[in-house]
Amino acid sequence: MSAGGPGGEAHGGVAPGKIIAFGVLGGLIGIYGAHFLSIINPAFSFIGALGAICAIVWGADAVRRVCSYGLGTGVPSIGMIALGMGVIASLFGLAVGGIAGPIVALIAASIIGLVIGLLANKVLGMNIPIMEKSMVEIGGAGALAIVGLSTTMAGTFMFDEVLALVVAPGYIAVIFIAGGMGILHPFNACLGPDEEQDRTLAVGFEKGAIAMIIAGIVSMVISTTAAIPAIMIGVFIWYISFAKFYELTKRDAYKVLGTGLLPTEEELQ
Amino acid sequence: MEPLIGMGVLALMGAAATVAGASEDLESDVGSQSNPNSQVQLAPQMMYPHRIYNKAISGEPPSNALMCAVGGTVATVLMSAYNMSPVFAIAMGALLAAIVHGTYSVTAFFGRPTSQKRFKQPVYLDILWSHTPVIMGYSYITTFCILVISYLMVAVLGHPFPLPLLAFIWGIAIGAVGSSTGDVHYGAEREFQSVEFGAGLNAANSGNIVRKGESGLRNGFDNSWFCAKFGGPVTGIAFGMVVFLSGWVTTVFDPARGDAIGWLSVIAGALLVLIMILWNRKIEVAARAAYGPYKEDEVAA
Repeated sequence: MSAGGPGGEAHGGVAPGKIIAFGVLGGLIGIYGAHFLSIINPAFSFIGALGAICAIVWGADAVRRVCSYGLGTGVPSIGMIALGMGVIASLFGLAVGGIAGPIVALIAASIIGLVIGLLANKVLGMNIPIMEKSMVEIGGAGALAIVGLSTTMAGTFMFDEVLALVVAPGYIAVIFIAGGMGILHPFNACLGPDEEQDRTLAVGFEKGAIAMIIAGIVSMVISTTAAIPAIMIGVFIWYISFAKFYELTKRDAYKVLGTGLLPTEEELQ
Repeated sequence: MEPLIGMGVLALMGAAATVAGASEDLESDVGSQSNPNSQVQLAPQMMYPHRIYNKAISGEPPSNALMCAVGGTVATVLMSAYNMSPVFAIAMGALLAAIVHGTYSVTAFFGRPTSQKRFKQPVYLDILWSHTPVIMGYSYITTFCILVISYLMVAVLGHPFPLPLLAFIWGIAIGAVGSSTGDVHYGAEREFQSVEFGAGLNAANSGNIVRKGESGLRNGFDNSWFCAKFGGPVTGIAFGMVVFLSGWVTTVFDPARGDAIGWLSVIAGALLVLIMILWNRKIEVAARAAYGPYKEDEVAA
């Protein structure tokens, strides 16, 4: 998008390992929880979207780490490639994996991510130290976000149902873009030398919640019982994370003013 | 289908696309998105703090694709699950899309200036409260028109793609057209109104955008007012032409009537592209002849 990346390793905040564990475990638990509990009652399908939020936050953090190496205009592109890898891997995983579908999807996405990371660094010569690792993470996060949101929409991750209820009616398009924007937008929105991890990830939660609300709206096609919890919990998470983001904005900004003139020359010195 | 009905539908789609193109460009100008936003982002770093909305959602194609896909999805759900009328469903879809777009605008508005703390760029809340509803209003118009186009393609022209997917694709298309056509008027002309026409962007001018308006400090409204005179309408015409002409070749030369006619549509499409390349070249040469040569060239001569 624009200039202003710090051009070095991302600093501070929660360690990458913890976020990766949060994304992978949260994503998989959410997806499997939604799949099995939806058999008891469709109202539980919202858990899949909670898993997707974990994956989106993980993806946003991975984007943050790799894009801190000065990838200003590359931030949106990297979000789109995340979901590009994710769509291929998740459809492949769900088609061949059966009950292990989400795990196969995660592994397939990681492999595609590794290949793209190697191509970017070795062939295109981008020479970003963490490129391969980050692309593996971004691909995995994209795949889990897609499977998680699909599970909420369809109430299951079984391939035939996902194909009939998510892919054929075209809802896969909104999963692709809402998931992709959830991953790319947080760092793109907070890009700048004074970016902070907690503020960026608050946007990740907030955008994940929007994807959850949309998945809830789509699940109306299956049953209103499934839609209401997903929409209401989504709105709740959105509100909490937006309030947190605004609080952190007030903490980090130079000044949050109701209105005012521009800073004076003396003030800028 | 009767060719005349096909042409009528196509004309309606072209009209909707023209409106959508104009509103898309003005929406990106009010909030400052895409290419010209690079300079808005750079300005505080170069000691030029400003009161311009920094709407760095993403590039225009993804953000418009999101709007349109959300609108198309909601409209489809309302039509399929609740049998609502298409007009109502499309209106509701566009409304939700505008709200989602508003939240994305707000997070970018807060996020970018806050991350420029060291350059002392304040976050002005009055800019947020005044500009965000306008951004949402424009995004409503854009999404509504794109959904009309997509719905006509599915319901009348019998396109095999589902509505959310078509809306997504048209969203990317309108973002791309808006970015490539309208941005120049805002980025090169409005942000750098203080430099001579055709001067290009000298590296020394980076970030030195015009920050003072006709009255008071310049903001996104002033920019959309300026862009509504030329950049917005020309984007509308460009996108309207894309929608109308790409549909026109297959409506006149319908491939369903035989392979030979299908190939004629391909040839007609290629001819249109060729004519437009030549036409654009003539316009560019004429503009250079009328307003050029550039200052550097004069000095060199």
